[in-house]
Amino acid sequence: MTGNKDQRAIRLEGVRTQGAGHPLGPLDAEIPSGLVTAVVGPNGSGKSTLFRTLLGLEPIREGAAFVLESPVLPDSSETYKARIGFLAENPHPGDDRLTTREKASFASLWYPDWNEIRYRELLSRFGIDDTVTLSKLSKGMRRKAELAVAMAHEPELLLLDEPSSGLDPFAWKIMLEELQRYMEPGDRTLLLSSHVTEEVKRMADCILFMNGGRILGLFEKDRLFDEWRSLLIRGPAGGEKDLELLAKLPGWRQASYAGSGLCRVETDAMGKEDGYLQSCGFHVLESRRMELEDILNCLIVKEDNNSESA
Amino acid sequence: MRLPIRIDEQRPEPLYHQIEVQLRGLILGGELQEGTALPSIRELAVSLKCSAITIRRVYQDLEHEGLIRTRQGAGTFVARVETAELDRHRVTRVMEELEKAVEAGLALHCTIEEIEDAFRQIMRTKSSEQRGDSEDDRE
Repeated sequence: MTGNKDQRAIRLEGVRTQGAGHPLGPLDAEIPSGLVTAVVGPNGSGKSTLFRTLLGLEPIREGAAFVLESPVLPDSSETYKARIGFLAENPHPGDDRLTTREKASFASLWYPDWNEIRYRELLSRFGIDDTVTLSKLSKGMRRKAELAVAMAHEPELLLLDEPSSGLDPFAWKIMLEELQRYMEPGDRTLLLSSHVTEEVKRMADCILFMNGGRILGLFEKDRLFDEWRSLLIRGPAGGEKDLELLAKLPGWRQASYAGSGLCRVETDAMGKEDGYLQSCGFHVLESRRMELEDILNCLIVKEDNNSESA
Repeated sequence: MRLPIRIDEQRPEPLYHQIEVQLRGLILGGELQEGTALPSIRELAVSLKCSAITIRRVYQDLEHEGLIRTRQGAGTFVARVETAELDRHRVTRVMEELEKAVEAGLALHCTIEEIEDAFRQIMRTKSSEQRGDSEDDRE
């Protein structure tokens, strides 16, 4: 089954960090266990800093973070880390002269649950020769090699920072299959950041939106796509004047004049706006689900407006 | 196994509803026979590009209705369905389809009377066709 409802794999309580130039927070979020949560946001929104924070690699200045029920502390020798698999955004230069085999040997000492059979399986799935030095592998090959090492101890929590970057479409497909297989038992948690909409649509159960070092919201994916709609509307005035009435629409996010007497309005309260639209004499010509990028854009605009008025 | 479920992004119904209606239809329509193993929650979620939360909800609802059953460690299977249930389902399904047709009519600004007239006309044609067929059978 899919995780205990009350369990949280990660809990952030007013966390602030001061990373390498990127201040983060305050962050408040509860990442559910047993599910896949995708972290989505523009470049520089703090996704990688968030991953590093969860591993104790960024000092927490304020607030508290809990990973697998353990507090994240600066001396970072906690045993909870053995229950995590991590793939960083960029390969570690210190690993350059190691072969995949050597990196795996180190990992097998560090992780009590290291599964050599699973490691071999992942290597063969990804088509990797683990006797080659990591720096001699192409970007995509190295990505796959590091992913195999990160997953081979079958961790309770898998943190993947843009796992698909550099992968060709075939490798990408295999990765998705392996992540699906990883999630199959139902008690494991995957947190991955991604710029690939298709990846989020296929893999994610929840989406955590970030921008400018802040969390814009954590949503259940299907509810998000069910509730956010873009409506094409003909109003009583048949022109830009309709926008004034539309601004009071339940769930209103943004609206614009689309020309030819029609308005387009984005709302996040699918089904709740019917009454208002009818009473004002609006006629809905089209109602369609929104793309992930458009929803993110709406959230960013709102955040910007909030911080301006604050 | 890949279930023949199609999600229509343009329909207003929420995803879980679309999936639940179609899966129920596959079972009550006899396409999925008693004992058929259903995909795991994660497998179905990935293939339909929806969340495991949605599939869990669908499976829970259908299990509650007695259409499927989950055996710990073995997976989820289609349960035994009574004939009366299958008959009820046929009527429910035809009403759903008619409702869609009526919605289409209203969207075209037809009056209720016009839609009723159209319905009767179609029914007359269909029943004379059927009578014709059965007369052919007798010959």
